[in-house]
Amino acid sequence: MKKINKFERILEIIPGAISWAIIIFFVFLAFVHPITCAVILIIFDLYWIIRTIYLTSLLIIAYQKLLRLLDKDWFAESNVLSGFEKIHQLIIFPVYKEGLEILRPSLDALINSHYPKNKMIVVMAFEERRSDSREIARILELEYAGNFSGYISTFHPDGLPGEGRNKGANATWAAKKAKEYVLSKGLEISDIIVSCFDADTCVHPGYFGCLTYHFLTSPNPHQASYQPMPVYNNNIWYAPAFARLVEISSSFNQLIESMRLERFVTFSSHSMSFKTLVDIDYWPVDMISDDSVVYWKAFLHYDGQYRVVPLYTIVSMDVAYSRSIFKTIWLQYRQKRRWAWGVENFPFLIKGFAKNPRIPLITKVRRAYNLLESHITWAVWAVILMFIAPLPILLGGAHFTQIPIGYNLPRITGILLNFTLIASFVIIVLSMLLLPPRPKDVKRAKYLVMVMEWIIVPFIILIVGSAPALDAQTRLMLGRYMEFQATEKSRFKKK
Amino acid sequence: MYIEQRIRAILFYLSVLVFIAILPFILSFALGYKFNPKTLQFTKTGIIVLKAQPGSAAVYLNDKLLDAKSPVTIDELLPGNYQVRLEIEGHYPWSDNIQVEAGKVSRFEKIILFPLRPQVTQLNQDRVTIFWIDEDSGLIYYVYSDNKNNQIYIYTSDLSGQRYQMAANISGTIPAPVSWKLSPDKTKILFFNSRQVRVASLKYNGDSDVLLEPYFIFDYRSNSLCDIFWHSDSFHLILVSYNSVEALEAQSGARPVELASLNRKNPYPYYDIKTDTLYFMDSQKAPDGNLYENVYKLEMAGNKVFDLPSQFKTKANEENK
Repeated sequence: MKKINKFERILEIIPGAISWAIIIFFVFLAFVHPITCAVILIIFDLYWIIRTIYLTSLLIIAYQKLLRLLDKDWFAESNVLSGFEKIHQLIIFPVYKEGLEILRPSLDALINSHYPKNKMIVVMAFEERRSDSREIARILELEYAGNFSGYISTFHPDGLPGEGRNKGANATWAAKKAKEYVLSKGLEISDIIVSCFDADTCVHPGYFGCLTYHFLTSPNPHQASYQPMPVYNNNIWYAPAFARLVEISSSFNQLIESMRLERFVTFSSHSMSFKTLVDIDYWPVDMISDDSVVYWKAFLHYDGQYRVVPLYTIVSMDVAYSRSIFKTIWLQYRQKRRWAWGVENFPFLIKGFAKNPRIPLITKVRRAYNLLESHITWAVWAVILMFIAPLPILLGGAHFTQIPIGYNLPRITGILLNFTLIASFVIIVLSMLLLPPRPKDVKRAKYLVMVMEWIIVPFIILIVGSAPALDAQTRLMLGRYMEFQATEKSRFKKK
Repeated sequence: MYIEQRIRAILFYLSVLVFIAILPFILSFALGYKFNPKTLQFTKTGIIVLKAQPGSAAVYLNDKLLDAKSPVTIDELLPGNYQVRLEIEGHYPWSDNIQVEAGKVSRFEKIILFPLRPQVTQLNQDRVTIFWIDEDSGLIYYVYSDNKNNQIYIYTSDLSGQRYQMAANISGTIPAPVSWKLSPDKTKILFFNSRQVRVASLKYNGDSDVLLEPYFIFDYRSNSLCDIFWHSDSFHLILVSYNSVEALEAQSGARPVELASLNRKNPYPYYDIKTDTLYFMDSQKAPDGNLYENVYKLEMAGNKVFDLPSQFKTKANEENK
C-alpha cells in the first residue's frame, strides 16, 4: 500500500475535484440561471470549434511532415555523422501475457530494420510470475539470439519491495540487467540509446536510423526523449470499427501533440539516452503511467532542461480488440482509462517542483497548467457537449424557449458543431492514407466500409470520450488506486 | 525553430483573434441584439418563427417577399407590428398581424395551408352501405347490405384502400339503425340494433359463390338494447339495455345471464377491454331511501364478476338476501 502524506493527497484530489466542479457548476447553472448557462455554453462551443480547426491544421502539418520524412534514408543520413560508430541500440520489450504470435513479428521488425544488427542489443523482459515465460524465452532465444550483437532474456521477480505490478517495474529490472551486460561488453553507457517498446511494437525499417540521426544532431542529446508516432496498423484491417476508430484517434492525437513541443510528453513506445535513464534511476516501479513519468523524472533531474524530440517515423502496434463487441468496448475503455491514469503525473510533478527551486516559476506554472488542462479537458469536453448542452432548454421551462437565446442556443450550437464536419472529413481522408496495404483476404469494399464507419463516432465519443478520464480522476480523487492491467492484444481475423 | 512551429504560432494567434472577433457577434445574435453600424450600438430585437404544412411556402413580411421559404426564422426584428403572409400555389394563404416584442420569440409553428382543391380518393371498389375503421389492425371494413337478395357483403382493405378483399358474405339483411364491433381476436364481427344481435365469422373461405351462414343471431326480448361490447375472450358479449346488464355467449342457443338490473334508461356504458370492466351510470336507492345518480364499475375478469354493491338487483345479491 502506497504511503501518502496530506500534501500528496490534496494534489491527487485536485484534478478530479476541478472536473467534477465544472460539471456540477454547469448543471447547477442550467437549473438556476439557464440564460447564463446558455451564454457560457455558446462561448465553450465557439472555443471548441476554433480549437478543433486549429488542432486539425496541426494534424495536417504533422501528417504532411510524417509523409515527407517516413521513407527518407535515415541510415544514410546518420552513418556519416561523427560518433555514429560508437552508438549502440538497446531495445527492451517488457512482456506480460503476450504470446509468440505477438513477439515474433516485433523481433522480425528489428531484423528488417535498416540498421546494423551488430549494434543492437535486445532484451526480452519477462515476468517471472508467468508460468511459461522461460519456455517462451528459450524458443525466442533459439530463433533470434544469433541475429543481434546481444540478446538477453530477463525474468522480473514478483513482489519486490516498493514495486507495483506494472510495466515500469519489469522494464527497470530489465534495464538494470542490461546495464550489467553492457558494461561487461566494455561499452560506454553514454553511447547507448535505449528504446522501451510495448511487446507488440513493430518498428518502421528506418526507425533506428532516424533515432540515431536525431540523437547525434540534437543539442544536448542526453537531455531529450525521442518519440516516434504510434500507429495501430498491425491488425487494423481485422479489428472492429469501434476499436479501429478509437486507435486512429489516438495516433492522430500523438501527431498533433508532436507539433506542440512545449507540452510534448513521451507516450507508449519511445527512446532515450541510456545514461539519462540510469541517472534518473530508471522508470518508476510503483506507477502505472511509466511512459510519461519517466519524462517528468528526467525533466526534474535536468531542472526543466529536458525535452521530447518528435521522430517522424512510425512504430506500429496492435489495435486492442476482442471477438465480442461488448468486450472490445470494455477493452478500449480500460485501455483509455489506463492512459487517463496519467493524471497521477500531476501530483508527482508538483511534488517534484516543490523540491526543485532551480526550475523557473514560469516553467513550473506553464507545465503544471498544461498537464492539468489536458486531463481536465479530456474529462469534461464530451460531457459538456453531449449532456450539458441540452440542459438549459430542458430545464429552462417555457419562458426560456420564448426568449431569443433559448431559441438560438440549439441553432448556434448546431451551426458551430457543423464546422467539426470539416475536421471530420480531414480526419477520414488522413485515416485512409495511413492504412497499411490491404491484406489479400480483405475485400476492396472494406475501404468504403471504413469510410462509412465514421458515422458511429458520436457513439464512440459517448463511451470513450470523457468517461475513462473522469473515471480515472475520480478514482485518484477517492484514493482508489488503479492496478496495472495490460491490454489484451489479439491477432485473430474477424470471421 | 522549425518552420512548422512558426506556422503553428501564426495559426494559434489567428485562432485567438478569430475567437475574440467572432464571440461578441455570436453572443449578441444569441441574446437577440442587433448591431447598428451607424450608431455603433446594440439594439434589442425580437424573432418570428414560422413553420407551415406543407413546407416551402413563400414568406412575405410587410408585403415584401423574403428569400427564405418556410420553415423560417426571421431574426433581428425591431419591436413593432409586422404583417406576415405565407403562400404556396394551390393552397389557401395564411396571414397574420404579429406583434414583435424586444427579447421575445413569437412562434407560429402549427400553420396549415389547406389545399384549394382537396384530394379525395375513393377507397371502396364495390357498393357500400356503411364502413368502419379498426385502428388496431389498420383495416377498413366496408359493409354492403343487399336487401333485394337478402345478402350482406363485408370487404376489407388497408387504410390507403389497397389489399381490397372480401372478408365475409352472409345471408340476411342489416337491421337498422345499426352498429358494428369487431371481436378482439379479429375473427368475428357483431352488428346490432335495439332488438337484435348478429355475429358473423370473418374467416372467408375465398370462394365468392359460397355463402357463409351467420355465426350467431340473437333476438332480444324487448326493443331496448342500448350497447353491446365484446369481452376480451372474443366469445362473450356484454349487453347493456335500458334496464339491465347481461352477459351472453356468442353461440347459437345461448341464453343471457343478467348481471345487474338498472333503473336508469341510458346508463352511458363504457367498456374497458384491457381489464374487462364495465363503467356505467345508474340511479340506486341509498340507505336513506332516496334515489341518487352514481357511476359504477362492474368487473368481469376472473373471480370479480358480479362485484357490485349490495343494493343492486343481481342474482348473487338476491341469493344472499
